[in-house]
Amino acid sequence: MRAPRWLRGRLGAGILIAVAISAIGAGLFYVRNSHSWKLPYRDSFATGQADEWTAFGGTWQIADGAMRNDSDERGAKLMTGSPDWKDYSFSADVQLLGSPGDAGLILRSSDEEQGVDSYHGYYVGLRNNDGNLIIGFADHGWIELAATPMPGGVHALRWYHLTGAVHDCQITAYANEIPNGSLQVVSYTDKNCLTRGRIGLRSHSSGGAWKNLAVLPLTGAATALVQAGSYHAPRDLPYAVDEPVFQRRARTERQSAAGAGEQTADRAADKSTEPAADVGSIGSLRMIRTMGRHATVRGTVILTRPQLYVEDATGGVAVLSSSEPSLKVGDEVEVSGEVEVHDFSCVLRDATIRLLWAHAPAPPIAVTANQAATGAFDARFIEVDGILSNKDKGPANTLLLAMKANGQSFRAIVNPSRGDAILRHLNTQSVLRLRGVCVVDPQFTHNLTPFVLLIASSDDVEELAGPPWWSGRNLVIIGLVTMTLALLAYMLYLHARHLRLQAIVEERERIAHDMHDTLAQSFVGIGFQLQAISNSIPEDLPGINQQLDLACDLVRHSHEEARRSLLTLRREFLESETLHSALNAFACRMVEHGSVSVRLTISGEDTSTPYAVKDALFRIGQEAIANAIRHGKPSVLHIHVRYTNDSVNMLIDDNGVGFNQGDDLRGFGLTGMRKRADGISGVLRISSNLGRGTQISVVAPLPSRLGWLKPDYYLWQFAKEATTDAKRKLRKDPYSYRR
Amino acid sequence: MQRENSAKIRILIVDDHPVVRTGLTSMLGTQAGFEVVGAASNGEEALALITRTTPDVLLMDLRMPGMNGIDLLRALHSYSKPPRVIVLTSFETDEDIYRAVQAGAHGYLLKSTMQQEMVAAIRAVHQGKRQIPPRIAARLAQRMSRPELTARELEILEMLAKGLTNKQIGAVFQISGNTARNHVNSILEKLEAADRTEAVSVAVQQGIIDLTN
Repeated sequence: MRAPRWLRGRLGAGILIAVAISAIGAGLFYVRNSHSWKLPYRDSFATGQADEWTAFGGTWQIADGAMRNDSDERGAKLMTGSPDWKDYSFSADVQLLGSPGDAGLILRSSDEEQGVDSYHGYYVGLRNNDGNLIIGFADHGWIELAATPMPGGVHALRWYHLTGAVHDCQITAYANEIPNGSLQVVSYTDKNCLTRGRIGLRSHSSGGAWKNLAVLPLTGAATALVQAGSYHAPRDLPYAVDEPVFQRRARTERQSAAGAGEQTADRAADKSTEPAADVGSIGSLRMIRTMGRHATVRGTVILTRPQLYVEDATGGVAVLSSSEPSLKVGDEVEVSGEVEVHDFSCVLRDATIRLLWAHAPAPPIAVTANQAATGAFDARFIEVDGILSNKDKGPANTLLLAMKANGQSFRAIVNPSRGDAILRHLNTQSVLRLRGVCVVDPQFTHNLTPFVLLIASSDDVEELAGPPWWSGRNLVIIGLVTMTLALLAYMLYLHARHLRLQAIVEERERIAHDMHDTLAQSFVGIGFQLQAISNSIPEDLPGINQQLDLACDLVRHSHEEARRSLLTLRREFLESETLHSALNAFACRMVEHGSVSVRLTISGEDTSTPYAVKDALFRIGQEAIANAIRHGKPSVLHIHVRYTNDSVNMLIDDNGVGFNQGDDLRGFGLTGMRKRADGISGVLRISSNLGRGTQISVVAPLPSRLGWLKPDYYLWQFAKEATTDAKRKLRKDPYSYRR
Repeated sequence: MQRENSAKIRILIVDDHPVVRTGLTSMLGTQAGFEVVGAASNGEEALALITRTTPDVLLMDLRMPGMNGIDLLRALHSYSKPPRVIVLTSFETDEDIYRAVQAGAHGYLLKSTMQQEMVAAIRAVHQGKRQIPPRIAARLAQRMSRPELTARELEILEMLAKGLTNKQIGAVFQISGNTARNHVNSILEKLEAADRTEAVSVAVQQGIIDLTN
């Protein structure tokens, strides 16, 4: 069976709309997520926003229009771009921040992870321990493909312009010192090359700085030049002026003179030049009770902004210094200053700081929030898990996270680093792992929380698990969906009930027609036949004539009964009429030829009695009226109908013979009446006394209104309209024969 | 002339129900002065039998498969000397009666009519009179007093009974909603109804429209 046209139409439209919405959604999603995925790609790092970059190790942040990694970590990476980028030219300005080490660009990379050489791609960079321009391949292991010495070597804290192209399996790189160094080129053709991948910044054993990154699609001319091996980088780029030379430059140069990696010697040299008196452990500072005492400690830098923190194995300390050298996280320093001890923390004031040597940042100590709250971990680099309860913007573009863990609440202050996209996307109620310096100093806690976590960059915020599904918003959505489904189910139920009712009515109708066509007509025919017999029998057979007359009467009576039954089965009474007028019309037809007078009393207005109630009441009324007229022989029949807001009351009252409560009333349809009344939760009352007539009353409650929302009504109208077309087609002359 | 001399009224029975046909044939056959010349089960059969048997009076039901009673009555208009027709039916709605009389029926009897009454009616109709029982005559008078609905109004009334709005009616008949509204107003006036619901109610009561299909 085919679905009705309106259903097909609406279903089709619904599906179309759904498809359109998902297409638009997908399109928006793509557009939102694809802004960094198309060539050409440029990043001058001038805006301070670098949301599209992903860090694997390192302490990446934007400073002075350059992306910097201040850590000496081996193999710190910062990746961006599309895994589908294939052939392109690249250019960037690169600077090494220390030695020995190298810095450069990763090309055609995938599967990046944290760790040395933990990616699958090519690397083009400058190395200052041998002064080479190199091409290498990393696949969680290192293969050096080509290396060419740079004229004049490679030096820390100088800017180099690195450019080149990847085309098919050929990698070509050019480099020159800015502004006027001579150009060096290195090229390599890899037979089984990687064809596509992301790009990235990478430094190894040294910090690095990058700026003016550009990745451009290869034009035809450029391609030809690359293949001819004579491609030259454009030299008219507006290069940034070199940064001021840091204090550590001297150290760097001294170190390179002394020889790479000989830290022990270096340390010895430091010691020999300026032996530190009374070097103690940081933990022992807390034992000092006299204010203003001078102390010297050694430790590792764990945070530089907003304040310098140094820790060793025994504890951590905040360092306040008027002239601090350019320090980075992981540096080993010697600090001497005035000790200021607070309840749970201590500070070194007016400190002088001496850089001893550089290290990769140390791993944090994993503690619980409760342990951190004791103050035992003040000024230590710790890792804490907690649930994000709120997030907010703080002063100086920092981000404030309010956290909860095991009934302990604390705050985290995150330095602005490479944009705050990650933090923007953090949802409250998610479980976070934070790495930062635990501080109990009231300067940061404002005595609101037991401790505050100072976090160097958003890379130290890790989302372990998203918010639980039973968040308020989700619950509301689930509630709405459930309600919609329930409403839908209810409407379907009502619709089904209506269809069932409709089927009953139609079946009744069919039976009525069948009975009319067979039973009633047969009575008529038999009646005529009996008349014929009666006519042919001679007048002098009185016995037989009498019996024949009786038979005729019986048949006529039966015909009348059948006609009445058919009448009750006809639907037209209820289709277009109110209950009281239908009852009245029925009663009038029943008493036709008779002497019974029918009186109708109505109170209230029949506004919206449901069809089921109307039908049941009408059937009960019919039965009651028929009983009264057939058996009660009344002179007056009263029909009272009272409509109220929440019920319909019907009373059929006659002044006939009545009956005794104890009489056998089978065959009077009382069971049927009760059943019908039960079906609409109505209350049926029958009272009668011999000679005092019979009163039959029904009180039918109306279903509570849904206000404007009458789904059954609208559905019914809808279904009616939908079938109108079909019905009109089927419809013929009303006089045509009906089967 | 010859038939009048024989003084027998030739009767053709038209009814789709075999039991009724047989019963009527038997009953009328026993009546003196009546001769049942045939029995047809619908209009087409009846027309064939009329040319063959030239009956004086047709006793005819209204609803039959194929050609129904009203159509048969209309078909008889083309006859130079048509038989006189009595409608014998179990339906007694105003519209049934009205249509039958309008189509040229000379009598209207219910099937529950007593034998004597029926015989008298046949004789009266045969003599050129009209025979309509008082109760039916009253209903007919009531129906006659009402102005006739036009064909278009009848169509629109059917749509009203289906609960269509003016706009929807307009769409069905390719007329404007305003035109449909004018028709509806005219219907209300003619049926003396206060609103659409009442109009449909009156129309159903009087058999102008039939909701059972």
